[in-house]
Amino acid sequence: MNDIETKLRETVKRLLADHTVRYVIGWEATRFEDKTRPAFISDSADTDRLVWNKYCVSSLAKYALDEQHSEGKIGICVRGCDSRAVCRLIEDKQLLRENLYLIGLPCDDKEMNICDTCTHRNPVIYDELVGEPVLERQADRFAMVGLMEAMSADERYSFWESNYSKCIRCYACRNICPACNCRACYADQERVGWQGKQMNTAQNQIYGLTRTYHVGDRCIECGECERVCPMMIPVMLQTRKMLKDINEMFGDYECGLPDGRAPVLGEYTLGDADDFM
Amino acid sequence: MKLLKKDLKEALRLISDDFELLLPGEGSGVSRFALWDGGDIDLSYGNTQLPPKDILFPHTEKMYSFKCATDVEVTEEAEAKSRIVFGIRPCDMRAIECMDKVFLEKGFTDSFYSRKREHTLFIAMGCTNPCRTCFCDSMGLTPGDAPAADILLVESDDSFEVKAQTQRGKEIAECFGRLLTDGKVQVSKVSCALKTKMSDDLPEKLSGMFEHPIWDEVGRACIGCATCTYVCPTCYCFDISLDNHGSEGVSFRCWDSCMFSDYTRMAGGHNPRPTKKERVRNRYMHKLSYFNERYGSALCVGCGRCVEKCPANLDITEFIDKVAEVRL
Ligand code: SF4
Ligand code: SF4
Ligand code: SF4
Ligand code: SF4
Repeated sequence: MNDIETKLRETVKRLLADHTVRYVIGWEATRFEDKTRPAFISDSADTDRLVWNKYCVSSLAKYALDEQHSEGKIGICVRGCDSRAVCRLIEDKQLLRENLYLIGLPCDDKEMNICDTCTHRNPVIYDELVGEPVLERQADRFAMVGLMEAMSADERYSFWESNYSKCIRCYACRNICPACNCRACYADQERVGWQGKQMNTAQNQIYGLTRTYHVGDRCIECGECERVCPMMIPVMLQTRKMLKDINEMFGDYECGLPDGRAPVLGEYTLGDADDFM
Repeated sequence: MKLLKKDLKEALRLISDDFELLLPGEGSGVSRFALWDGGDIDLSYGNTQLPPKDILFPHTEKMYSFKCATDVEVTEEAEAKSRIVFGIRPCDMRAIECMDKVFLEKGFTDSFYSRKREHTLFIAMGCTNPCRTCFCDSMGLTPGDAPAADILLVESDDSFEVKAQTQRGKEIAECFGRLLTDGKVQVSKVSCALKTKMSDDLPEKLSGMFEHPIWDEVGRACIGCATCTYVCPTCYCFDISLDNHGSEGVSFRCWDSCMFSDYTRMAGGHNPRPTKKERVRNRYMHKLSYFNERYGSALCVGCGRCVEKCPANLDITEFIDKVAEVRL
C-alpha cells in the first residue's frame, strides 16, 4: 500500500462519516494485478476496498450520471482527466457542481501511451487534494495526427478502412465517453436509411465519423474511447485531428477546463475563420 | 494415430481442395478464425480474441433480397460451402454445442444456421497452455478434450495424436493417409489457472435470486457496451433489419446484445429492463441459470474472453464466487 492510497481511504472514511457525500466513486482491485474496477463506496467499513495505483485507469465521472437527479452529494476521485470529464458534464448541463464532491488525485504513474500526451496531470477542479501536485509536462498532443496527415489521401482511406473493418460496433467508445452524453444516441434509432445496424466496413465507418463529429469540439482528450475499444482501433486520433484543426483555425483550444469557454462549434463570432467554407 | 507437427501443413493441403479451411490467425492486431492462405501455421494462439461463432452465425447475414416492380420478387440467400474449422479450442467447441441447441432443437430448425452447420467440420485442439482468464474446468469442461469435435488433436512437443471422433472425422483422417503413423501421445493433465466456485446447484440457487440485493452492486461499473456479448462464443441474440434502396433491398440479421438499452425497448417507449442492473442480471442469469433450465447446461463455457475484454473489468468468475457465498 502506498501513502496516497492510505490517505485516500482515510479521506473517504471521513467524508462518509460526516455525511459530506452519500457515496464515493473510486477504483478497487480485481483478481488481476493489472486490472482495477470502478468501485462505489457508501459504507465507511468498505473504504479499504479502494486502491490507488498505476492501473487505476477507468474514467469515473460519467458514472455520476447514473444518479443524475438524486439528492445529496456524490464523491468522485478525480485525476486530471476525470476532473475535465466533470467539467465537460457540468458544461453540458448533465451534472451540477454543488452535487459533487471532488477528491483530487495528481496522477503521474500510468503506463498507457495515451497518458504520454496528457497536459493536465493535476485535477483542474477539486474540493480537496490527496497528495502533492505533480509537475505538468510539455507534450505534443498532435504528434500522431501529424503522422496521419503525412499520409496520402489513399493511404489515409485504407488506414481507416482497415481499422473500421475490425469494429464490432460494441459502442464501448461511445458509452465510456464523457462528451457522449445525449439521452438518446442517433445510433440507437431503429430507422431504415439512418445508421444501419449491419456490421460492415461502410456502416462502421459512418458510425466512426459521426461519433467523431458529434464530440470533436468537446473532446477532453482522456483517451478512454481508445482504451476501451476491444478491437484496438485508434479512435481518439479522429477527435484529435478535429481538435488540431480547431486549434489552427480558432486559436489555442482545450476542452474540459473551467475557463467557461463554449465549445467552438456551438458558438459564433463575426471574427470566426470561414475560409474553409 | 500420430501426425508429426512438421507434416501439418502438408496434411492441411491434402484436404484444402475439397474444403475451405478456417484457422486461427491475426489480422490488423485482432486474432480470429480466417481463411487459410496456405502459409505458415501458428498454433500459439490461446483463445482468439473474436470467437469462432461467426462461422456459423455471422455478424451480419443476408436473409433474402427483394425487388418490387409490378410483381414482388424475393430471393432467398442460400450458401453451403464445405468448410473445416481447424484448431478450435474445447471451450469454443462446447459453445458450438450450445448454439446447436438453440438453433436446431426444441422443434424449430433455423435454416440459415443449419445449412452452414451441416457443411462444417471441426478439428479441435486440446489445450496445453490455458490463458490466465481461462476457467473452463470450473464449468465442467476438460481443457484437453472436445467431445463434439469431428477430430481431436492432442498436442505434444513434436506431434499430434489424431483422434477421429465421428464418421466424418474418420473420413478426413483417412485423407491424411501416409502422413499418419501409429502411436499415441502422452500428455499430463491440464488445469486452468482461474478457479471459480461453480457447482451443480448454483443454477437453481440463482433462479431464486431474481430479487436479491446482490444485483444492486454487481453491475454498477458496467458501461452497457456489447463487448462481453460480442466476444462471447455462446451469445446468440440477433436483430432483423432492412437495407432499402428504392424499390429493392435486402433483409439481413445481425448480432444484437442484451447489454444495449434498446434491446428491450418496446413500441411506445416502455423498457422492461430500464437500467444496467436489469441488463447485467439478465446476462448472468442467462449464462448461469436460464439456459440450464431450458437445455440442461450452462451457457458460459469458461473461455474468459469477457473477463479479459470488459472495459470496466466486470468478472463473471467473481460473480459466481459471490453467489456461492450467499446464504438464502
Ligand atoms: S478522448 Fe475519446 S472518450 Fe475521451 S472525451 Fe475524447 S472522444 Fe470522448
Ligand atoms: S469501441 Fe471499437 S469496436 Fe466498439 S464500436 Fe467503438 S470503434 Fe467499434
Ligand atoms: S463488457 Fe463489461 S461494461 Fe461492457 S456491457 Fe459487458 S459487463 Fe458491461
Ligand atoms: S460469459 Fe464470458 S467466460 Fe463465459 S463463455 Fe461467454 S465470454 Fe466466455
